[in-house]
Amino acid sequence: MIYVYGVLRRGRGAEVAAAGVEQAPIRGVEHGDLVALVSDLDGTVLAAAREVRAHWAVLDEVARSVTVLPVRFGTVLDDDDDVRASLLEPNAERITELLRVLDGRVQLNVRAHYDEERLLADVVRASPNVAAMRERIKGLPEQAAYYQRIRLGELVAGEVARARENDARRALEALDPHAVASRVEEPRGGDGAFALAFLVERGAVDAFGAAVARLREQSGDRLRIRFVGPLPPYSFVDDELRAGTPAWA
Amino acid sequence: MSIATTPRGYIERPRPSGLADVIEVILDKGLVIDAYVRVALIGIEILTIDARIVIASVDTYLRFAEAVNRLDIAQANQQPGLPELMEEVTSGGASSKTKGVIEGVKEKITGDDDDEDEEDKGKSQSRSRRSSSSSRSGSRSRSRSSSKGSS
Repeated sequence: MIYVYGVLRRGRGAEVAAAGVEQAPIRGVEHGDLVALVSDLDGTVLAAAREVRAHWAVLDEVARSVTVLPVRFGTVLDDDDDVRASLLEPNAERITELLRVLDGRVQLNVRAHYDEERLLADVVRASPNVAAMRERIKGLPEQAAYYQRIRLGELVAGEVARARENDARRALEALDPHAVASRVEEPRGGDGAFALAFLVERGAVDAFGAAVARLREQSGDRLRIRFVGPLPPYSFVDDELRAGTPAWA
Repeated sequence: MSIATTPRGYIERPRPSGLADVIEVILDKGLVIDAYVRVALIGIEILTIDARIVIASVDTYLRFAEAVNRLDIAQANQQPGLPELMEEVTSGGASSKTKGVIEGVKEKITGDDDDEDEEDKGKSQSRSRRSSSSSRSGSRSRSRSSSKGSS
């Protein structure tokens, strides 16, 4: 079995020092102008928590110098011929096109989480309904106010959802002008505010970073913003094998 | 991957990060090959509780209510909008009282990594907790996942 990491253009530094899944060395399977980065795999069961890092490390190393299209984690093909027959050959045109439009561009992720206490305090302050309900419940025994407490929590949840939408929109408006494309992803965790992925020209990374800094300043301590990258374009190759040239290219 | 924390928005060179961050970046992302095989992935469990689910249960409502009720902002209600009072709320005595209500419904990640870095240790504490409704007490002691990344 062959584990597949990603695809890049041939002759552009496919040598990889990082060990792959199961500590196996990385090698290339070539077809035309394309090279698939693969390693040999013994079994069909992977200790994912460990191997997810190997997958990441291999692509990260390559992506430092050239554009590589990540293949989805956990993708395995039969052998080298299968890599050509199932991946490179039938998709050569589209892969080449994707590599062309992604060339010289990196992914940057901007994610934010709320400080819960701060967020809830803001909610109470901003929403007269929540504040009033909170006051009404205050003196009551817990059981007596059961349904009011549910209603209060529901109101709070609604306000939290609204905050999430607003903050995501504001971040997108602030950062999108500095990016070639963007993806809105589902924030992970209950305190996630937003999760955005941006495709940015390598030369524009600093300008983008400055925009992130401004956003961070504007947000104050309401949001804990994480700025992660540069990354291979993980979020910009989904479904593209079928879609041909992406709309933003 | 790197997490830039300076106010200038500097981007550091990519470096290994916490397991949760790595997973967040690469899971379910990337080219999908026709007729590919997905190997069995063991030793990892990711329960992504998305926001819509998080806010849609009575249990969560009650915990939101509890958290809001615990907030020490009685004075802020009488004089809403005073920034100094808000300052008091965010930096003052109420801190840690409401910690963990939202955290408690964060995604749980279990893994078998033995080389997890500092950030992962916070995550791994949540190993045995699987659902939002059973995690209230345990969540208080967890370190925040982005403690390294926040300023």
